[in-house]
Parts: sequence; C-alpha cells; structure tokens
Amino acid sequence: MIVAATRRNALLVSGALAAVLLLVSLGALCFGSVHVALRDVWAGLTGSASTGDWAIIVRDIRLPRVLLAILVGAALATSGTALQALLRNPLAEPYVLGISSGAALGAIVALWVGGRVAAASPLAAFLGALATTAWVYLLGHRAGRLASYTLVLAGVVTASFLSAAILFVLTLLSTRDVRGMAFWLMGDLSVVTDTQLRILGPIVVLGFLVLYAFAKDLNVLLLGEEEAAHLGVNVTRVQTVVYLLASVLTGVAVALSGAIGYLGLLVPHLARMLVGSDHRTLLPAAALGGAIVLVLSDTLARTVVAPSELPVGAVTAVAGAPVFIYLLRRTAG
Amino acid sequence: MTPHQRDSVRALSLLGIALFACPARAGRIVTDQTGRRLNVPDHPARLVSLAPSVTETLFVLGLGDQVVGDTDYCEYPPAAKLKPHVGSILNPSLETIVALKPDLVLGSPEANRREIADRLARFGIPLYGVTARTVDETLASIVNLGNLLGHEAEATRVVSGLRARIGAVSKRVAGSKAPRVLFVVWYRPLTTAGAGTFIGDVIRRAGGEPVSGGLEGEWPKLSLEEALRLDPDVILFPRSESFSPDLEEFQKLPGWRDMRAVKTRRMYIISDAIIRPSPRLVDSLEEVARILHSEGRAAEGGPR
Repeated sequence: MIVAATRRNALLVSGALAAVLLLVSLGALCFGSVHVALRDVWAGLTGSASTGDWAIIVRDIRLPRVLLAILVGAALATSGTALQALLRNPLAEPYVLGISSGAALGAIVALWVGGRVAAASPLAAFLGALATTAWVYLLGHRAGRLASYTLVLAGVVTASFLSAAILFVLTLLSTRDVRGMAFWLMGDLSVVTDTQLRILGPIVVLGFLVLYAFAKDLNVLLLGEEEAAHLGVNVTRVQTVVYLLASVLTGVAVALSGAIGYLGLLVPHLARMLVGSDHRTLLPAAALGGAIVLVLSDTLARTVVAPSELPVGAVTAVAGAPVFIYLLRRTAG
Repeated sequence: MTPHQRDSVRALSLLGIALFACPARAGRIVTDQTGRRLNVPDHPARLVSLAPSVTETLFVLGLGDQVVGDTDYCEYPPAAKLKPHVGSILNPSLETIVALKPDLVLGSPEANRREIADRLARFGIPLYGVTARTVDETLASIVNLGNLLGHEAEATRVVSGLRARIGAVSKRVAGSKAPRVLFVVWYRPLTTAGAGTFIGDVIRRAGGEPVSGGLEGEWPKLSLEEALRLDPDVILFPRSESFSPDLEEFQKLPGWRDMRAVKTRRMYIISDAIIRPSPRLVDSLEEVARILHSEGRAAEGGPR
C-alpha cells in the first residue's frame, strides 16, 4: 500500500518536473541575442532548416547548448544528492570535495602547457577530476572504512590547495590568456561538439540509472553506517560505488562545461524540500531540478547582456548564495 | 683644519657624491599619455618597461641600451629577452624594479595595475603612462616618447617611415570591396576586440570592416549566435602562447561550421603584433591587408 503510494508519488513528481523541463527548454530555444521567429524555431527542431535560415541558430547553437545544460545540470545535482546521503553531510557536493577544482586545474594546466587546446582540455579536466577523487578517497579512509567527516575535511583542504595551484598557474600567464581560463573557473556552456554530447549523454543516463539502483541503500545509509550494516547493506561496497559514480558524473560535467558552482549543493536541498528524502523519488526530482535550474540560468546568461554573454557559473553563484542563505535561515528558524 | 671645517668638507663631499650619483634629479613636470602629471628627470638613462609594446618602441628609437629591465613577456626584439625581467605585466615585482635603480619606469594603463604607479612613487620612481587606441595615436605615442627621452630625430625618422608604409597600404586597398572581419582572441567563450580599439582601426585601414556586434571595451565576449548573424567573410586569430587553434576543428564545431568564413576556410592565424600598439602594428597592418586583398592566394594564408 505504502510502496504503491510512494511509487505513484514519484511518478507524479517526476512527470510534473519533466513537463516543466520541457517548457523551460522550449523557452530557452526561443530566446537569445538574435531574434528567431517561432516558425524558424520549429524548423530548427524538426531539422527542416536549410543553410541561411535563422533556424540554424536554433539547431546548431541553442539546441546543443540546452542539451548540454540539461545533462550537466542533471549530473551535478544527482552527484550532489548522492554525496550528501553517502556522507550524511548537507555540505557535501562536487565542489566541496575538490572534484571540480581538480577538473579545472587539469584543464588549465593543459592550456598552459599548450598544444591543441580544444581536444586536450576536456580530457585533462576529466583526468584531473578522477585523480582528485582518488586522492580524497584515500585520505578519507580510516581503518578500511570511509569516514564521512574525514572525507569531507580532506575534500575541503584539497579543494583549497587546488584553488591555490590554479591561482599560481594564472599568475604565470599573460592577461589575455587568463581570459580564456575564466571559462574553466566560472563555467560556460557555449561550445560543445556533437561528439562530446554523444559521449556525455550515455554516461549521464547510465550513471543516473546505476545510482538509482542504489536508492534504497542510500535511504538505509541515512540511518547510520552501523544500522545500515545491521540491515544487511554492504556499506563499503555502496560507499565505493556511489562515490565513484558521483565523481565520474561530476568529472564529465566539468570537463565540458567548466566549474559551475552551487548547483550540486542547492538543488538536492530544494528537491528534498519538495519531495522528502526517499531517494527513489529524490534522485529523479534532483536530476530534473538540476536540469531546469541550469537551463534557466544559461538562458539568463545568454540574454541579460546580449549580444555579449555572461559565464553561466556567475549566474548560478549570484543566484545560489542568497538561496542558500534563505534555506539556512528557514531550517534554522 | 678645525673640527668645524672638517665637518663642512665632509658634508660638501657627501653632497658631491650625492649629486654625482643622481645627476638628473632636478627634472621637470610633464603630462604623460594618460593625462597624469609627474616629475621626470631631464635625461633619464635607466629605463624599465612594464609593457611589451613600450619595450618594442624603446628599441626602435635606439634606446635599447638604456632599458635596464622589462617584463617576462617582452620577447621582441630578441635583445629584449636578454634584459633582466621584472615579472609579469599584471603583477611585476616591485622590489626587482627598485633594485634595478631606474630613473624612469614606463607602463601602460591597459596592461598594468593602477596601484603600481602609487607604490613606485613612494620610492621616488616616476611611472610614465603610455597609451594608444588607434594607429594614429600609436604614431603620436612614438613621437611623444622620442621627445620625452631626447630621441626626437629617431622618432621622426621612424614615424615618417611608418607613415609611408601605411600610405602604401591605403593606396593598395583603396576601392576594393571591404570584407567583414571578425577578430577572435579566444573562441571559448568567443572573445573579440572592441569596436573602438586599435585592432579595429588596423582592420579598417587594411581595407576590412571589423564586426564586433557593436560591443565596446577591450576584449568583449560575443555570443556565438550574434557572430553567426554577423556572418563574417574572414576570421583572424592572433597567435598566442596558449592558443594554437586547429583551424580544421572549427569545421566540426556547431555554430562555427555554419559561418561563411569557416565554410570558405578564410580563417587565418596572424602575428600577435596586432595586439600591441607598437611600431610593429604597421607590420600587422600589411599582413592583414595582404590576407584581405589577395583572393587568389587566400588558401595559402595561415598555417594549418
């Protein structure tokens, strides 16, 4: 009875959020620095556009960008939700654990060392994220177990060390080159290739599905590691798999979009307020919510100073900090 | 000698040493190119340059021997690389500058931070600001530096040579159709040069029409869809230490691949002299004019 109700509820919430995401995405396709008539938006979506039409802008610039925002938003929010449950820490998220900084440092070092930028940087960012993950994971281990507070602290210190390393590399570069680096530090969704989307898509979907399979285990883990172990959960295995998956999701997201802050921290909290903390409902709600928030933020980033653009990370940070303070006051009071 | 006389002699000799050590302390009040008033020695002999464009100008004026320090980024002419470096452009080392005992430091408000002038002033070292937003202002800046540093004749000779070359370019491109040119400093996010910069001026004088979506400022970001709407005929990338784009890659990038300049492969990597308001700006002018107005040889333009 209860199970049926939960499942119906989950479906309902996911359905409603999916509908919102669809609407927001359609809106994002209509707005931009260039005015595109609705007829052309449709032509761009159905692929009936020929060269020279504004539909090209919809199909080749806005559509890949909206898809990237959906995938990156979903990946960061899912990863944040899983990490917060795993570490039973409301501050846990890809940023706090240093994963994003590791990715940014990887990309920036690749740029600094030189070479053919476009191809090398996402790969270097991904490797940077994984290396940081492994390092923080090793530090966070105590007596063969993942110690949640040790892991968070190890992450915080690693993140601050990596930020320092990034600043160090930036001082070595001339002013003009620093501008290009800002992309990795503030996040930006403006350039993505079809191939990159084709790689990112399956990874995010698969990563989400595997994490979803652990939803019940995450629910049990919220009770505490001892209790979870008593209830028959293989705690170490769940921790390792979930932590790795969250890192891979963050790694691929940051590799293609730069470091976009606040999303992985805030969206899980917002989703939890909306649907509660049953991960069978929470994970899809967070993923869809992350996608909605990032598509909205990027639409703002593209339009407020048109024909120029803001880095989307600046938008999420400016909007995110006040929202976080609001949530803090709400729960504290 | 009475003790009193001895003291006087010692004082006088100390004064003499002091005068000998800084012969040009008298100085004069001048207004630099940014409108700041400062006290400059009459015959500055030890110069530190905080901007690559200034270093180039000093060497062209025959003042290379008097440059006692420049930045890590001053790599032209090659002799500039051998000078002691004072650090990066944005964040030069104050103590290195002071240790070089310059009697005049030359910098640029576009490149250097404002605080540097104030901090140098505390050590009694004047910072002379050099700036130029157009090709004409670049020439004026060269003349101004020549006057300031007592090399008027060289400055006049250099500038008249540059004027002749600029005139030759104007004559060559006059009457030709002006292709629309997008200057790309960085492609992710797409960063261009503002309409009012000397880069726009160089493109215009080279017989092109710079497009930047009407954006001002030094390096504004331009949305990709606006760039596609502007649909430039030619895209120019300045060479840079960390930006060596694979031009073929743009054929695959959504948005970029729909641009006329990408489809017709009229994309060129040009010398980064175009981002420096120095005498070499005229080399860039000739280079851009060559690219824009030699259709037949367009294919062999930039290195691939």
